[in-house]
Amino acid sequence: MALVAVLAIFVDIPKHQISFPFNCPGICLKIGDVQVNQEIKTHLGLDLQGGTQLILRLQYEKLPTGSNATQSELQAQAIRVIENRINSLGVSEPVIQGLGTDKILLELPGVDDLQQANDVATRQAFLEVKVPDKEHPGQYVSLQPPLTGADLNPNGVYVTFQNGTKPVVHFEFKGAASDRWVQISKDYLNQPVQITLDGKEVSAPVIQTVFTTGAGIIEGNFTTKTANELAIQLKSGSLPVPLEVIQSSRVEPTLGRDSVNRSLVAGAIGLLLVAFFMIAYYRLPGAIAVLALLYYTALTYAVFRLVPVTLTLAGIAGFILSIGMAVDANVLTFERLKEELRAGKSLRAAVEEGRRRAFPSILYSNLATIMTAGILFWFGTGTVKGFALTLAIGVGVSFFTAVIVTQMLLHAAIEVSSLRRRRLYGVEEKAPETRGTTTPVVAV
Amino acid sequence: MLRFVERKWWYFGFSGLLIVPGLIFLLLGGLKPGIEFKGGTLLDVRFDTPPTVADVSEVMTSLGRREAVVQVAEGGRIEIRTFEMKPEDQVAAETALRTKFGANMKDFNPQFVSPSFSGELIDNAIRSIALASVLIVLLIAFAFRNFGWAAFRYGIAAIISLLHDAAVVLGFFAMLGYFFNVEIDSLFVTAVLTIIGFSVHDTIVVFDRIRENLRLNPGEALNPVINFSIMQTLARSVITSLTVVLTLLALYLFGGFSMRNFALALLVGIVSGTYSSIFNASQIISLWQEVEDRLRHRATPAPA
Repeated sequence: MALVAVLAIFVDIPKHQISFPFNCPGICLKIGDVQVNQEIKTHLGLDLQGGTQLILRLQYEKLPTGSNATQSELQAQAIRVIENRINSLGVSEPVIQGLGTDKILLELPGVDDLQQANDVATRQAFLEVKVPDKEHPGQYVSLQPPLTGADLNPNGVYVTFQNGTKPVVHFEFKGAASDRWVQISKDYLNQPVQITLDGKEVSAPVIQTVFTTGAGIIEGNFTTKTANELAIQLKSGSLPVPLEVIQSSRVEPTLGRDSVNRSLVAGAIGLLLVAFFMIAYYRLPGAIAVLALLYYTALTYAVFRLVPVTLTLAGIAGFILSIGMAVDANVLTFERLKEELRAGKSLRAAVEEGRRRAFPSILYSNLATIMTAGILFWFGTGTVKGFALTLAIGVGVSFFTAVIVTQMLLHAAIEVSSLRRRRLYGVEEKAPETRGTTTPVVAV
Repeated sequence: MLRFVERKWWYFGFSGLLIVPGLIFLLLGGLKPGIEFKGGTLLDVRFDTPPTVADVSEVMTSLGRREAVVQVAEGGRIEIRTFEMKPEDQVAAETALRTKFGANMKDFNPQFVSPSFSGELIDNAIRSIALASVLIVLLIAFAFRNFGWAAFRYGIAAIISLLHDAAVVLGFFAMLGYFFNVEIDSLFVTAVLTIIGFSVHDTIVVFDRIRENLRLNPGEALNPVINFSIMQTLARSVITSLTVVLTLLALYLFGGFSMRNFALALLVGIVSGTYSSIFNASQIISLWQEVEDRLRHRATPAPA
């Protein structure tokens, strides 16, 4: 238990001065070939940080007929491609989620440039090599089967500068496509070959020599920025379906920074009031509950940072609710403890009975909450999902702290003789109250 | 001892007094969806030294934009959110602000904000709550499995008090919307979900006590056991709610402006949840039992 506390506090500390084992942001484990590299930090959601939100529609109707992939396969593929692109842009904490089978939700915290976000999400980046049409001079036709960007080797795509200034994009075909590329250079020597991107010509260089490898370059009218973007898109692969943006917005942080800070202060004041009240009303057990609550808060926050859970306002609400339930588990136990003491039980027996009697209430009420949270997480979207996740984690952790940690502390306390006076538990020193016996129910 | 069960019609009546006016305003369209749901315009204005929120609000109100939400942002900026503004409205707003703040105002940048909050989210939330309710009924029925078919009425009573609490909060905000133009946002949806979670939690604790006392006193009639169980859990119900209310009050009084309505919704819901778990949930069980008894002895109807 103490070990867990130390670990939790270690995870909670904002920035570690000591890098352990070596220059690693958070936890780094290396077991055989498996390397865990989990960065530890608090993840803020779009509503706390601001950013860009897009809803994209997959234009299935623009697909060539005869494609046999299902909609959900195509959607999953499109999500993977966008994910790769966003990751190479270095956006932290993007949310990329399928909505139904024909829409994708994209959230980019910290990105303010709507145009850039639109480009990243909708450029199909479908590269195709076309050769001169023998029947219609001046036009180009696809090869059979088409030679496309799907056959590129991602590691062979990079940007260099011709003559030190003009950016060009290098690419390289892999496997059999590489041989076909060499074959094209033999078949169409001294003829132009067209390179198209999303159906538009980017360049049509004349082949001057027979190639020896599958590599080539694209010379377009690139700036450094557009060349880099194209390289990223070619590396990440092309979108299987053209996408269109049906909704785009710059999301502003719901709460101004000022507001967040004030709310945090308010939360702290609230917790202090609760702690004061618990100690005033329950005395020693109250103090123990406050300890257990501190333990609970540290542990839950650590879990949030480790999973990692992206904190949104709704998520914070879930956290607050779970704190309330953690308090409740303690209150339930202590009320039972008082009852048993009033009924004349010894301290030790009362602690044990209190735990045993309060347990079903705590169990069933927490189960109901976790069940609800589970369903909300499963079917919910956006805000609701965040709420459900923090609530479920919070209630799970509170079950552990309120039942196990509080009990251990209580048991430890009653072993200390100076802490064994009944008044410390909010009950009269002797003479158990008789109120219970006039009622029809006698607790045994 | 307080007669919790015998006075049940009083308590049901009080709930009715709380819910019925709310429902009327709900039907009158009192719940006002905020800019998050409907989309609108965001005016991003930069100042040398930002004016107070009240001053900016005053300008917007004078333009007839009572719904405008004004916030201080980083870098000396003020953000004003309103429902969709036509280009000429935007020009009018810019002129009005320039007249008021003069050279202090540096930059005026209107943006379209599309609804970031789709109806899908609410639909999903409602569907999930329905499914969760079914599972909660089953869970409570499982906890009360020794009572045979009567076990289900405990689950159903818990769901009725859940609906009670949701109705109180929705109705309360419908009234606030109707009279004070208070809008609801995604935080409100979260608040309602939180209240529902708390309500079930609270009710289960009382029911668990009834279950234990029924087990300990097999021959006892239902109503006295319910009275006694409520009595025993009363301190706990009040104290738990009190701790949550303390936190929320702090949030309401000292928290940021945009957290206020959220804290208020939770406050109303938590108080309602505590009320319904003490004065409604168990009384529904008692009523159910009485109706059943009466049906069984139709020849000699028992007094209510």
